[in-house]
Amino acid sequence: MKTVKRVILFFVILAVLLGASSAWIHAEAVKLADFIPGRSRPFLTIAAEKKETLDLVVVGDSESYTSVSPMQMWKEQGIAGYICGQPGQKIQETYYMLKTALKEQSPKVVVLETNLMFRDPGPIKNLQSTIAEPARYHFPLLRFHNLWKIAFDGKKPGEPVFKGFSIRSGVAPFDSGDYMKETEEVQEMPKAVQFYMEEIRELCKRSGAELVLMSAPSPKNYSCKKHNAIENYAKEKGLTYVDLNLKIKELGMDWQQDSYDKGDHLNLFGAQKVTAWLGKYLKEKYEMPDHRNDPAYENWNRMEKKYAEIIQKAAL
Amino acid sequence: MAYHAALYVFVFLPVCLVAYQSMPQRHRWKVLLGFSWLFFYLISGKLIIYLIGTTLLTHYTGIWLTLLKEKECREKEQADRAAKREIKKKYQKQGRAVLALGVILLLAVLAYMKYYNFFVDNASLILDRLLLPLPLETKRIILPIGISFYTLQAIGYMADVYWGKIRAEENVFRNALFLGFFPQIMEGPICRYTDTAGELFAGKPLSYENLSDGYVRIFWGLFKKKVIADRLSVPVSAVFDHYGDHHGAVIAAAAVAYTIQLYMEFSGCMDIVIGSGKLFGICLPENFRQPFSARSAAEFWRRWHISLGTWFKTYIFYPVSMSGLVKKWNQFGKKHAGKYITQLGVSAIALFPVWLCNGLWHGARWSYIFYGMYYFTLILLGIAVKPGRDRILKVCRINEDALYWRIIQIGKTWVIIFTGELFFRADGLRAGLSMFRSMFDGFDIRQFWDGTMLGFGLSRADFAAIAAGCIVVAVVGHLKERGGTVNGRLKKVPTPVRWCVYYALIFAVLLLGAYGDGYQAVDLIYAGF
Repeated sequence: MKTVKRVILFFVILAVLLGASSAWIHAEAVKLADFIPGRSRPFLTIAAEKKETLDLVVVGDSESYTSVSPMQMWKEQGIAGYICGQPGQKIQETYYMLKTALKEQSPKVVVLETNLMFRDPGPIKNLQSTIAEPARYHFPLLRFHNLWKIAFDGKKPGEPVFKGFSIRSGVAPFDSGDYMKETEEVQEMPKAVQFYMEEIRELCKRSGAELVLMSAPSPKNYSCKKHNAIENYAKEKGLTYVDLNLKIKELGMDWQQDSYDKGDHLNLFGAQKVTAWLGKYLKEKYEMPDHRNDPAYENWNRMEKKYAEIIQKAAL
Repeated sequence: MAYHAALYVFVFLPVCLVAYQSMPQRHRWKVLLGFSWLFFYLISGKLIIYLIGTTLLTHYTGIWLTLLKEKECREKEQADRAAKREIKKKYQKQGRAVLALGVILLLAVLAYMKYYNFFVDNASLILDRLLLPLPLETKRIILPIGISFYTLQAIGYMADVYWGKIRAEENVFRNALFLGFFPQIMEGPICRYTDTAGELFAGKPLSYENLSDGYVRIFWGLFKKKVIADRLSVPVSAVFDHYGDHHGAVIAAAAVAYTIQLYMEFSGCMDIVIGSGKLFGICLPENFRQPFSARSAAEFWRRWHISLGTWFKTYIFYPVSMSGLVKKWNQFGKKHAGKYITQLGVSAIALFPVWLCNGLWHGARWSYIFYGMYYFTLILLGIAVKPGRDRILKVCRINEDALYWRIIQIGKTWVIIFTGELFFRADGLRAGLSMFRSMFDGFDIRQFWDGTMLGFGLSRADFAAIAAGCIVVAVVGHLKERGGTVNGRLKKVPTPVRWCVYYALIFAVLLLGAYGDGYQAVDLIYAGF
C-alpha cells in the first residue's frame, strides 16, 4: 500500500510540474509568438488575437493559408478572418487547432479546407497523432519546448504573416488541362478523418459556428473522385460545401499566372481571386458583419495598410 | 514504431505490462510472445514470415541435434571403448551435417536478402570489363527488421545445442519468444539462450523496483537519443551527404560528431531495450561499457557492441582457433618460423574471419568490409608490436597506469575510432577515402570557433544542449567506470533527492529533446543493419 501511495504521489507531483511549466511556457510563447518559427506558430498567433474579435476562422493544410487572404477580405468586406493553417495539417491537429481558436473566439463561420480530409498516414501514425495531439494541447510544454533556445539564439523574426496568410508571389504555371473529369467514383475517406470530422462538427455546433467545407483550387490535389466524396459527406451531414475547383472560370483563374508551384498551391494572385469570391459569398450567405469602421479593429486597418504596401511590391 | 517513439514508451509498453500482469504466471511468456509478434508485425508487416521461418528452422534443427545426442548416448551405453569412439565419431559427423544444414539455410536467407544486390553489382562490374553478360539483375529487396540480429542469435542457439552447452527447447513457441522478444528484435543485444531463457519464461510478477529501474533506464536512453544523437544527425547528414563541398576541420568535426551520434543513439537504444526488459524482470546483457575509456582498439571492441563481439569470439574466433588449419600452422610454424611469428600467424588466421564478418554483418558495402579490415589490421598490429612496445616502456620506465600515459592512450584510441567511423558513415569506400584525404586539405583549427560550424543546421542553443548532454553522459560513464551504477547510487540517497533527479531527467528529455518543430524524426541507425 505504501508503494502504491508513493507511485501516486510521484505522478501527482509530475502532473503538477508538467501543468505549471506548461502554463508558464504557453504564456511566454504567446508573448514571443512572432519569433517562434515552425508549424506550431498558428497555435500561438491565434491565441494572441484579441478576445471575441474574429468572424471567420479557416483551418486546413497549406492549401488554406495559400488560398485565402484575411487582409484582403478585411479590405473588401470588413470581415475579420484568421487562417489557422499548417503545412500538412493532420485532422487531429485541425481539431485541436480549432479548439484553441474557439477557446477565446466565437466566429460566425469556420471554413475547413478539405485537402486534409484525404490524408492517411496509416494506422500507426494516426494512433500516434491521436495520442500526441491531446497531450500537446493539454501540456503545451510538449509543443513549445524549444522556447528555451531563444535565450541562446536571440529573437529572430519569422516570415511575415498576415492573420495566418503568407505572401507568395512566385509563379510556376500549371498546364496539364482539365483535372476535374467527371466520374461516378468516390474517393475513400480515412476512418480517423471521419471520426475527427464528427468531433469538429460538434465543436462548431457548441460554439455556434457554421462549418463550411471548402476545396481550394488545386489541380494537383483535387479530382472529381474527391469532390464526390466530400459532396456525399456534406449532404449526409447537412454541411455547406464549396468546391472552387468547379468554379475556375467564375473565379477567373489563370493557371499560367495564378499557380505558385505547378498546380499544387495558389500564389498571391490566385489567392486574391479566391478571397474576393469567398468574401462576397460569406457576406451574402452568412450576413457577416463589417468592422472596418469599428474603433476596436483599428489595428486591422493598420495591418491592412502594411499588407497593401507589401503586395504592391510583390506585384511589381 | 521504434523504441524511442512515444507510442512505444507510453502505449505499447504499458498495455503489454497490464496484459502480462493480468495473466497467470505460467502463461505470461505467451503474452510476451504475442506482443513480440505484434511489435514485429507493426513494423515489418508480412515479413514476419521470415521470423517465423527462422524460428521453425532453428527449433527443429535444435530438436534434431538433441535427438542425435540422445541416440548417441543410448548406443554408447552398451558399447565398449573402441566402439564408443566410433559411435562418437559417427554422431559428431551427423551432428555437424545437421548444424551445417541449419546454419547454411539461415545464412542463405540472410545472404540473399542482404548481399544479393551487392553481389550482382560487383559481378556485373567485373563481367562488364570482360565483356561478358550477367544474367542477373538487382532487385528491390525489403529487409525484415532485425534479420541480422535474430539470425546470429539463432545460429548461436543451434551451435550451443550442437556443443551440448544447452538442451534444445522442446516448445517451439518458447523458442519463438527467445528469438523474437520485442525489446531486442530491432537492435539486439544478441543473446545466448542461457542469458535470457530462464527469465523470459519465468513470468515474474511486476515489481515496483523493476518498473522504476526499467523506466529510469528508458528515460536515460531517450535522453541520449533525443537530446544528443538526433540533434547531431543534422550536421552529420549535411556534411556526409555533400562531402565534396567540405574539407579540413569540417570533415574532422563531422567524423567526431558522427561517432558521438552513433554512440548516443545505439547505447541510448540499448538503455531503452534493457530498461524494457527490466520492466518484466528480464535482465538483458549490456552492450556497451564506456567504450571511450578504452586504451586500445582491441579494448574498444570489448566495450562497444559487446554482444556482437562476444558472438564473433564464441562462434568464429574460438572454432577457428581450434580448427585443423590453425593446428597445422602451429606445427609448421614451431618448426620453421619461431614462436613470435607462429603466434602472430595464429592471431591473423583467427582474427581475419572475425573482422571480415564484422564488416560484412553491418551491410553489403565495400566501406563496411574496409571498416572490418581496418580494425583487423590495427588489432593485429597491436599484437605484433606488443613485445617491442613492452620493452620500450620498461626501458623508459613508463608506468602504464600513470594518468598522463592513460590520457595519451585514450587519445590515440579516439583518433582510431573517429577515423574508423568516418569510413563507416561515408557513402561508400570512395567517398570515405576522399573525405579522409580532404580532412588534411586546408585544415584550419579556427573553423571550430569562427562560426563555420553554425552553418550546418544547428544553432548555438543546439550546440549548448549537445555539450551539456555529453557532459552528463561522461560524468555518468565515469561513475559507472568507477564501479556500480548511478541508479544504484541514487537508491541510497533520500527519496526527495532521488525524485528530483528523476524529474530532472524527464524534463531534460521533454525540454531539450530534438523533436517537434524544426526537427526531423531520425530512424534508429542500427535497425538498418
